[in-house]
Amino acid sequence: MEHQNENPNPERNAAHDDYLWDGSGAPDPDVQKLEVLLKEFRHHRPALSLPALSAEPRRSFFRPRIGWLPVLAGATAAALVLCATLLLLQNAHSPDQQAGWSISSVAGTARIGTNTISGDVPARLDVGQTLETGNQSHASLNAENVGLIELDAGTRLRLLAMGKDRQRIALDRGTIHAHIWAPPGQFIVDTPAAITVDLGCAYTLKVDDSGAGIVRTSLGWVGFKLNGREAFIPAGAACATRPKIGPGTPYFENAPSAFRAALERFDFTDSDPQQRAVDLNLILSSARPHDALTLWHLLSRVDAGQRGQVYDKLEELALPPADVTKDGILQLNQPMLDSWWNSLGFDDISVWRHWEHSWAETSPAK
Amino acid sequence: MLSSSRDSADSMAADLDVNDPNRAAVEPSEDEGIVQAARDGDRIAFGSLYQRYARMVHGVLLAKVPFADVDDLVQDTFVRALRNLSGLRENGRFGPWLAAIARNLANDHHRHAAPMTELDHEIAAFDSGSSPDTELSAAGVLDAIRILPDTYRETLILRLVEGMTGPEIAAHTGLTPGSVRVNLHRGMQQLRASLKLRPQSAHRREGTK
Repeated sequence: MEHQNENPNPERNAAHDDYLWDGSGAPDPDVQKLEVLLKEFRHHRPALSLPALSAEPRRSFFRPRIGWLPVLAGATAAALVLCATLLLLQNAHSPDQQAGWSISSVAGTARIGTNTISGDVPARLDVGQTLETGNQSHASLNAENVGLIELDAGTRLRLLAMGKDRQRIALDRGTIHAHIWAPPGQFIVDTPAAITVDLGCAYTLKVDDSGAGIVRTSLGWVGFKLNGREAFIPAGAACATRPKIGPGTPYFENAPSAFRAALERFDFTDSDPQQRAVDLNLILSSARPHDALTLWHLLSRVDAGQRGQVYDKLEELALPPADVTKDGILQLNQPMLDSWWNSLGFDDISVWRHWEHSWAETSPAK
Repeated sequence: MLSSSRDSADSMAADLDVNDPNRAAVEPSEDEGIVQAARDGDRIAFGSLYQRYARMVHGVLLAKVPFADVDDLVQDTFVRALRNLSGLRENGRFGPWLAAIARNLANDHHRHAAPMTELDHEIAAFDSGSSPDTELSAAGVLDAIRILPDTYRETLILRLVEGMTGPEIAAHTGLTPGSVRVNLHRGMQQLRASLKLRPQSAHRREGTK
């Protein structure tokens, strides 16, 4: 793509794009022309099809022979809604829905236990079973009320639990891409080095043969936890984890490489105190405002003697709320830490705290 | 270079949906009561949410999936939203939550659908009735938007295709107005470059001479 017309200071000039912004100001002929051209693709607002609410949506069903039914169609529609609701409830509680994940596609061959499967035959992964993809194969798992999981080649996954409010799998090795629409906190992935808790999102989780892992979040946020050490990874960020150590410190993936390298040493290398101090200084000195994510996590990861240094830098990047004091943070006062997190604008940590109490934190998958 | 169409300026207000009754429904706080009613089982309230957010969902999907499949996926998005309303943490965040569902469905569809070359053919077939006097086709412009970075293409489609204003896009998607404005500006710059249009500043300079 050509970029020769790119303005070196777009933010400053954005203020002059009033027509593009809200239709005010002098009309921009190019924008006007594009609006006219593209109008044919615009949503034409068909009414929501009530029959679609009665069962698993199917493409052919959404072009109903009976035509689009209006949402506010009166008694007939109300009766349909009632039926649909009953069917939904029935589906939500049917044993079949809770038994496992359907394997919606397989490229190449994969195995459930010792049985080889391919894309030709429908298959399910039930609780207690293991799905393994070969070096050249991929597979997709789908559970209607939970989400979609895609397995890259060389992945081994076990289904541990599939309940109404809790779905749990173990990723022994390989890579999964999870797109989860179950309520936050209900989908959990055990890895050898941490448990991963979906908090309303899409993410990629990779585990290598040593058990080390990394999660990369593309939507929403993810919680990472092991033995009381926790990390929150919002969209655009990543976090590594190591067996017996647990989650490292989350960072935005667009952070400078030196920042990330220093962070990895700080998290996972058994450095001498002098080196740790050097790495911490590098992290703090190169932190951008967005890296408040990393610094907030460091507050509870650094030695007590270094905490004031982290506090000062984080305060410089993101002022703490009025209910947060330096003394409180230095003593790792949890409500104050949580309050400061909430002020950073990533997400509400109370969601995590609520679900945290409901988890039976077990040892990572064996 | 696109030809300027001053005579269509009056129709632009309609294109931008300035008079659209749904346009007033951009404040998330206004949604909270409706969302709560929908969560309580009020299907009329849910229908109202559909009316308010269908354009946004359509635009989010159109940024990634073939046009012919978008209406079905809009339906899928709302059905999934209805089924999972209990998982919505804040009623005032319905729009961003719904957009996330739409993006998930688009990603899912994108992974399992035909390659983009088929999409091109499909759009070309759809677009066969375009006016021959236009230098650019709608399909060509849509393709050009679709190869922009994710951040820009979704915002541009909501603005240029769905006719939403920047403030509406921000209110519906949960992005900050500043981000939307910058995305629109940068995206439009890249689109001009891609379509070999002159930057807007050139128009202005010419106009002031």
